[in-house]
Formats: sequence, structure tokens, C-alpha cells
Amino acid sequence: MQPVIEVRNLTKTYPGGVEAVKGIDFDVEPGEVFGLLGPNGAGKSTTIGMLTTTIAPTDGEARLAGFDVATEPIAARRVSGVVFQDPVVDRALTGRRNMETHARLWGVDAGRAARRVAELAEPFGLAQLLERPVASYSGGQRRRLEIARALLSDPRVLFLDEPTVGLDPRIRYELLDLIGGLGESGDMTILLTTHYLDEAERLCDRVAIVHEGRIVAMDAPRSLLAGLGREIVELRVHGSGDAALDALRRHGVANGDAFAVGGSLTIPLPDSSSAEVVARIAGLGLATESISTRVPTLDDVYLRLTGSRLDAAA
Amino acid sequence: MAATLTAPTARAARPAPRWFAPLATLTRRRFALTARTPRELFVPLLTPILFALVIAPALAKTVGSFRPGIDYMTFVALATAGLLIPLNTMFSGIGVIVDRESGARRDLLAAPIPRPLLVLGNLAVAFAITALQIVVLIAAAALRGAEFHVTTTGALWFAGGAAFLAVGMYGVAETLANRVPSVEEYIAAVPAIAIVPWFFAGSLFPVSSLPAGLAWIARFLPLTHALALMRYGLLDTNGTGLRDIWGMHDPTVMALLSLAVVAAFAALMVTVSIRVFTRAAVR
Repeated sequence: MQPVIEVRNLTKTYPGGVEAVKGIDFDVEPGEVFGLLGPNGAGKSTTIGMLTTTIAPTDGEARLAGFDVATEPIAARRVSGVVFQDPVVDRALTGRRNMETHARLWGVDAGRAARRVAELAEPFGLAQLLERPVASYSGGQRRRLEIARALLSDPRVLFLDEPTVGLDPRIRYELLDLIGGLGESGDMTILLTTHYLDEAERLCDRVAIVHEGRIVAMDAPRSLLAGLGREIVELRVHGSGDAALDALRRHGVANGDAFAVGGSLTIPLPDSSSAEVVARIAGLGLATESISTRVPTLDDVYLRLTGSRLDAAA
Repeated sequence: MAATLTAPTARAARPAPRWFAPLATLTRRRFALTARTPRELFVPLLTPILFALVIAPALAKTVGSFRPGIDYMTFVALATAGLLIPLNTMFSGIGVIVDRESGARRDLLAAPIPRPLLVLGNLAVAFAITALQIVVLIAAAALRGAEFHVTTTGALWFAGGAAFLAVGMYGVAETLANRVPSVEEYIAAVPAIAIVPWFFAGSLFPVSSLPAGLAWIARFLPLTHALALMRYGLLDTNGTGLRDIWGMHDPTVMALLSLAVVAAFAALMVTVSIRVFTRAAVR
């Protein structure tokens, strides 16, 4: 099946020499929810900007539903909808007016636009808000309006750039439910960027981990986590973590998947039991500050690949 | 809040919207943002109307006789049109910055339409509001006693000069708005662009009254040509203002030349503004 999004060696260098995206490649299949996961400044929003033709690529190519974003930008924009990271609405106008303007620009006729607004208003909790100026909306209401607006034209590709950033936890989880519902319909391809691990794990069929403009890993969240086993031991030591890691490897407590960042060691446990490993570490007489066990997260994957924690980098 | 949504259904390829439909949508949007209340339409008229109703008669009384056959009060009343057009179109440019900083511009940029339409939609609204204000201004001046010599041809010369000046000045506004980083910087530049030329363009006195060097410079200002055309159309039927610029004898030829100057200014500035917008909008 032809991928809906095809990206080849996509590169963006801003004036002044800032290399935001350094030659990335990926495909997204029809109906897939694909996530770009990485901290702020990793190049995620620039990638979405290039795919939505609001940022000009320096090199490489990208296609949406077969349309080249550089040579057929209007056709590429016709098949897509986008929700940007920052609020992009006419605050002085009502929610309905914002939606109607969007629908008309995407070529949706007035009758169908009115039906779609009515269809989307209820599930997005906008029914009571549509006649109010958007300036009076809360952050969550405005974000719901922007997502509903992007859906008016039934886009084949929906881009969501950090859709829940800046929202309080309750609103954030409500929005995740909505986005999850979109993904489950399976009729639309979604590319979302996030620096929230739980978002990526919960929503995405596949995730590309982006670090300093490059994709450092790409797979289903479950597959990425599987590389770290079912459980990990996390160890903090006084002094160099590398020396402690060497000692653990020499004694067969840790294998090649274990890694150290500063004084922190992460030891994936694909086979061994955590109790056994903790006991063996204690027997080595290392100067440990703390030792704990937990299930691995995408943050551990990110940490292993980049040497920094996603939460800290974001 | 419900989590499930109706799956989007029919995905038949929609025909691309032709340019007129999106332009009409963009124009309606800009109009809704610009003229939500009568206050937003008429407050900008206060200064020019004050000029036409109070200052022009007072100046006429003070200055007294002007050129034979030309009423000075009407001369100044028409000059206020040359002030209103640049001021109104330049202030329209603020909306461009608001769109960029806190409005829906990125959504509009992501729309499947040719991007020059975004500029043209703004231009259409600036033009329409300016036209309305000019009509109100002329009507107010007439009620106050200004002596307009209205003929069909004269009205067309007036409309042509005013229209091309409005289009050109909106091009200047859009260009500046896409070049400056903030509303504050934009507003600081407005007097230099909208008001300073007015003093050199033969607004309150003929261009020929200026020192030779300034008179020479004034002949290059589009506003000088637009004002001469507007006066030729409604007041100065002998074309003395046009003669101050061109030094010829046939007023029709001179009017055509001035119209060509203002039209070229409009075409140039609209082209430049579209180019600057499309370059600034896509990083």
C-alpha cells in the first residue's frame, strides 16, 4: 500500500546556519497514528511546518498522498489539516465564524460545512461555545476548536503539533481521549508531535524518536520498549557511572544493553529477575546511593539513545 | 466529553476552489475583523472630517482669494481625501501584523489556495472601507459648502486617482507590515509614510509654490499626481494643478499621464507586497 506520508532526506537549515532538521526519512501508512517524539528544539515542529508547506525545506522531499509538498503545494494542502502548537485562531471572531472560514477555504460547500460543524460541535464540547468570540474561550476550549476546525474538510492527513502542550492535566486527558477516538476510526492518517511520553505510548502506532534534528529510533512503542525487557533496575552511584557499569559487566550482572549517564545506571532485565540482580549488585560492594526497579518507559529508550532524559530536555 | 467520533466518510476528491470563492471568503473574514462595529468604520473619519468642516473653511477665510475659479475651501477639502487614503490604508496594515502575531495566519497559509489571495483579500477590504470614508468625507464637505463641479468624466478622474492611490498605499502598508517585527514599530513609521508626503504634494498650496528643489521632488510623489487628478475631476477643471506638474497645455493628456503614474505605483506596490508577503510568510 502506498504510504500517505513519504519523507526522504528532509532537511531544514534556517538563515544563520541553525540546522533544525538534518535529513530525516520516514513513511506513514494509511490510517496509522505516527508520533514524532522529542524535546523542544529537536526539529519536530519544523518537520510539520515543512509537511504543511509553511516552512520551505532546504533539501530533500516529502509527499502527502502522493503530492510533492514543494512542487504541488496546493494539492498537498488540500488533503491535509493541521493544528499548530501555538494558538492559530481569529480571537475576535466566533468559533463558528472561525470554522466556517476554514471550511470555505478548504473548498467545503456551505451546506456541508454547516452539517460538519454541527457533527463536530457535540463530541468536541463546542455546542454551547460556537457563538462566542474565541477570545472568551479557555485554552482547552480553544484547542478543541482548532482540532474540530482541522477535521471539517475530512483531511486524509491530520497534523497535530504538540496538541496538549500548556493544558492542565484534566483538559489534557480529555483531549487525549478525543485524539485517541480519531485514531481509532482508522480512516485518517495522523502525524503528531509530542514531548510527552505517555501521549506517544497511548496514541501512536509507531514513534520516531527525534534528537537534534535526526531520527534516532523508529518503531512501535511496544517494540522500542521490548528492547529494554519487562523490567529495569535503576542505580545511582557515587562517582563515575561508567566505572560501576564496567564492574557490573565484568561480573555478568549487566549486559550490552545497560547504559550509564552521569552517576545513573540503567540495567534492562530481558531475562533475569529483578530481585536476583539487586541481590548481586548488593554483593559487589558498589558505593550505591539508591537502587530501584520499575517497568521501562520511552524515556529510558530516549535516554539510552541520546544520553539525556526526555523530560529534562523538554 | 464523548471520546468517539463519526468517522469521516466520503472522500471524493473535491474540486479545487476557484480563486474567486476563497478571495470572497478571505474578504469576508477581513471585513468581520476590521469593521465589527460602526465605531471602527467612522472613528478614522474624525480627523479628515474635522479638516474638511472646520480647518478648510477657516483656512479659506484666512487665506481669502486663491486661484481664479478655485474655491480654497474645496481645494483643502479635497486635500483631506489625500490625507484620509494613506492614513486609512496604512492603519489597515496593523491587521496584517495582528494576524501574524496572534491571529489565524498560519491556518490561512496551510489552506489549499494561492497565497497572494491573502493579500488581495485584505486589499479588497481596505479599499472598500476607504471608498466608503471618501464618500462620507466628500458628502460632509459638500454639506459644509464646498463647491464641487461634478460631471461624469470628472467623477471618473477623481475615482481613478483615489482608487489607484488607495491600492498603492495598501501595497505599501502590506509590505511594511511584513517587514517590521512589531505593531509598535509599524505605528512609528506611519506618520513618515502617510502624513509627511501630504505636506509636499500640493495639499494646502500648489506645488509651484514650493522651492524649486522640493517642487521637483513633489512631482515624483504618487500623492501629488493623485491629488491633482482628484481636483481636476471635481474642482480644477482647467487642470492648473496638473500643469504645475507636467507643464503641458492639454489637461486630458496630463490627466492621463498622472493616472498612469498612480496606476503604475499601485501595480508596483501590489506586486511588491505579494512578493514580500509570500517570502516572509514561509520561513
